Parts: sequence; C-alpha cells; structure tokens
Amino acid sequence: MIARLLLALVLALPAVARAQDLPLVAALSQTAVEVSTGFTGASLMVFGSTEGPIGPGGDEVLVVARGPTRPIVVRRKVSVAGLIWVNGPSARFAQVPGFYFISGTRPAWQLLPEDERQRNSLGLDSLPLTSTGARSPAFRAALLGLESQSGLWIEDASAVEIAGSRLFHARLPLPAAVPTGDYQVEVLLVRSRRIVARQELAFRVDRVGTADRIATVAEDQPFLYGIACIVFAALAGWLGSVLFRRG
Amino acid sequence: MQVYLPIAEMSVDAFLLVGIGFGVGWLSGLFGVGGGFLLTPLLILIGIPSPVAVASGANQTLGASVSGLIAQWRRGNVDAKMGGVLLMGGVLGSLAGVQLFALLRRIGQVDLAVSLFYVVVLGTVGGLMVMESVRAILRRRSATKRKLHEHFWMHGLPLKMRFRRSRLYISIIPPFVVGFGIGVLSAVMGVGGGFMLVPAMIYFLGMPTSVVIGTSLFQVVFVAANVTLLQAVQLGTVDILLTMLLLLGGVAGAQFGAAMGTRLRGEETRALLGLLVLSVALSLLWGLLRTPANLFSSGPAL
Repeated sequence: MIARLLLALVLALPAVARAQDLPLVAALSQTAVEVSTGFTGASLMVFGSTEGPIGPGGDEVLVVARGPTRPIVVRRKVSVAGLIWVNGPSARFAQVPGFYFISGTRPAWQLLPEDERQRNSLGLDSLPLTSTGARSPAFRAALLGLESQSGLWIEDASAVEIAGSRLFHARLPLPAAVPTGDYQVEVLLVRSRRIVARQELAFRVDRVGTADRIATVAEDQPFLYGIACIVFAALAGWLGSVLFRRG
Repeated sequence: MQVYLPIAEMSVDAFLLVGIGFGVGWLSGLFGVGGGFLLTPLLILIGIPSPVAVASGANQTLGASVSGLIAQWRRGNVDAKMGGVLLMGGVLGSLAGVQLFALLRRIGQVDLAVSLFYVVVLGTVGGLMVMESVRAILRRRSATKRKLHEHFWMHGLPLKMRFRRSRLYISIIPPFVVGFGIGVLSAVMGVGGGFMLVPAMIYFLGMPTSVVIGTSLFQVVFVAANVTLLQAVQLGTVDILLTMLLLLGGVAGAQFGAAMGTRLRGEETRALLGLLVLSVALSLLWGLLRTPANLFSSGPAL
C-alpha cells in the first residue's frame, strides 16, 4: 500500500510542483469502489501535500468522509411483565450517513475551537442527527455505538500519517456492509486553530456484475425476480436429486 | 470464501452456508421433513436479517421439496384433489401471512413475532411428538390396531367431497382450514410446514399414511412458491444467492440423510425429531427471556 502510495505521489508530483503556491493539494487513490459477489470491504487512500511543514505549531490536516444518508429507526427493548424482551419505544433518524470517517494529524477537538468544529460537523458527537419519536438522548448514543460497532462510523481510529514534513496520507477503510452511492471526502488544512483551506474529493461505491444484476432485477422487476427464484430453486432441487440418485 | 449477498447486503462465508444447507438437508432427509424450521433460526443466528432469512428459507424449502414430490408423484402417492383443497387454503393463508409479516415489519416486531411463533409452534409440536413416540415405544408389544377412522364433530360439517385416493368422504372445510393455517405459518416462519401438516393429515383428517407424505409435499412446494413470490414482490427480501448456496449443500445432505433414515425405526425417528424440534424451541425461548446484551437495535426505517 505504502509503495503504491509513493508511486502515486511521484506521479502526482508535477501537479504538486505546479500548485506550489496552493496551501493544500489532495487526491484519492481511487474514485470508484466496485461491490461484486466477492466483496469483503475495501480500503482507500487519501493523500496529498501542504504548503508549510506539518506538525504542532504548523499546518494540521483533517480528513472527513461522508457516505449517502438513509433513514434509520433505533428501538429500545423493554421487558414485558419481567419476562420476555420486546421492542418498545423507538426514535426515527431521518438523515443518517451510511458511512462517516474522520481522522486528523491530531483529533479535531484539539485542532479547532468548539463552535467551529460543531458548525462543520467534524466528529461523531457533532453529526446533525435530528430524530422524531422517543426523545431520550440515549437513542442517539445507541445509534453512535451501533454504527461504530459495525465499522461504518470511524472516528480517529488511526491518525493521518506524515511522510517527510509536507506529505500526508490517511487510510479509509470501507467495511463489507458499506452502502452504495456517492461519497464526499473533505480534506481540511488547519493553521492556528482556523480552517485556512479545504479540498473536496468524491468517490462512488457501486454494485457490479452478478451482485448488481440480482439487486437491480429484484428492485425493478420484483414479479419476474420472484418467478426466477421459484424456477431456479425448483431446478436446483430436481437436478440435485437426479445427480445423486445416479451416483 | 466470503461471498456478498446482494439482497441481504452483507458478506458471509459461502462454505458456512453450504455447510448449514448440508446439515439441515441431512436431517430433513433423515426425518422426511423439509427442515425449514431449523434453517430459518440458524440463518438468523449467523446474522442474516429476519425478513431475508424467512423469505429465503421459504425459497430453499421449495427447492428441497421438489425432488421428493417428483418421486412421490411417480409412485402415485399424491392425492391431487386433497392437495388442491389444502392448497386453496394455503394460498389464501400465505397471502394473509405475508400481510401480517409486512405489518409486523412496519411496527418493528418481526424478530419477536418470528421467535414467538417458533417457540409456540415448535414447542407444541415437539412436545406432542416426543410424548406420542415415547408412548408408542413403551406400548410396542401390546399393540392395538387403530380403527380405520373415527367419527367425531368434524364429520357433521357441510360441503362434503369424495377423496378417492385418500379413501375419505369428508367436508372440505377442515382441509381448507388446515391449509390456511399452514400457509400463514409458512409466510411468517419461512417453513414449509410439513412437520405440522403430516400429523394434521393423519390424526385430524384421517388420511391413510401412504398418501400423507406425497400430498403434504404437494402442498409445501406450491405454498412455498407462493410465499417466495409474495415476499419477493411485496417486501423484496428473497436472496437468490443465499437460496442457491443453501440448496447446494441441502440437496446433497438430503440424499445421505435419506439413506441413513431407512435404518432407523419409526418410533425412534419420531422421538429424535421431536427432541430436535423441542430443543430449537427452547433455544429460541432462551433468546427471548435472557437480558439482551444491547438493549438498543437499529434498522432501516420503512
């Protein structure tokens, strides 16, 4: 990975040189992630360079990635008659990012004033999650816990690494359950507790091949898909019995 | 080898699925039942979402029962007329069951309902099977011949019809109701219902044992097909890749199981099956009773 990154940097060097007066230059190792039937997750590199040397007192870098949003319901189990556990109150969160990643040369709360951090929603605790239904803050906390556990929300799992004094790179791990759609990556340059430059990058996660065909047919032509499921299952059962009876 | 299931939207070990299919197929071949009642809870246990597990379980049951139906049909062990009446009930029942399932999913109680259905149905059936077979083993020597059929209130119902293969002249209401009930269970639990249909046909409808297996397979195949179609159209939860991986192991397992099954005696087989059914019910009951590790769960909002 590091070798590939260095190669990419060398290739990108002319651009970096030309952009010498730009305070921040960043790029992604790939702009498309393909989810095939063998998909077990992927890993992207965000890399780039800064104008001044990176480190305490100098430039600092923050990398944020956000996936497509979807509505999520969080339910709390309650004990009925002290016996069985059933789903009780629930809170519905309208716009929950299906993927969220933040990492920096240092954690965001050390780099930026609190109001600045909240305004740019840098960090899991500053995600703008509005909910309807049950009001307890425990639901929000539970959502944070569940998404972090599934590996879809990642906060400061590993710091942005520095090579030399101006080159930086961060690894973006995408788990197998990553939702398909458009992703935004923001690279921020922080200097003396202010955001002085930002660069927007984007990549796309798409189902391809068999996985994509199955999901598309199931969505667009559910009747046809249902019939196909019946026919395939029946054929498999019949074929199997023929094969094994001979053997 | 990890494989990405396009409908469940998750990555699962393909060998694990084939292995589960083989194990369940082996047991179903051994005991002569579809095995859906084992499959769906196992799928939920390895983390497949309940709606996908139920829908794909029904789809797998269809495939697993087809070869049995063909074999029984060739031997003339299928009472198509009785099967047709059962099927009418079954189709309406599965239609009602899928609506019930969609409603449960909207209010967020699918997991509870699936577990409760399993605990109640499997607990009852398993308990009865164990009791009945233990009694049969104990009374093996002092065997008394059962009457061909007994007359009770059921025989006073209207709409009588003659079922030649089953040598019965009964009202179509009881088989229709039985079929309807199995249809509902099939849609909610993702099972074929053979393990309940067979005793219901013998003890409730009074059908001769020779046509019971074939006729129940007839009903199971068509009701499972109907459930598959309805779940695919209404909920979009049938994962064909999951089904095929399960069938790959299941079809092979069933042949081995069936070969071994011929060496076991009827009562012992039924006692073992009863114990198996009962233990699945108890493990699911435990899942409902123990304090969950995480009180919160999340899912897509519908």
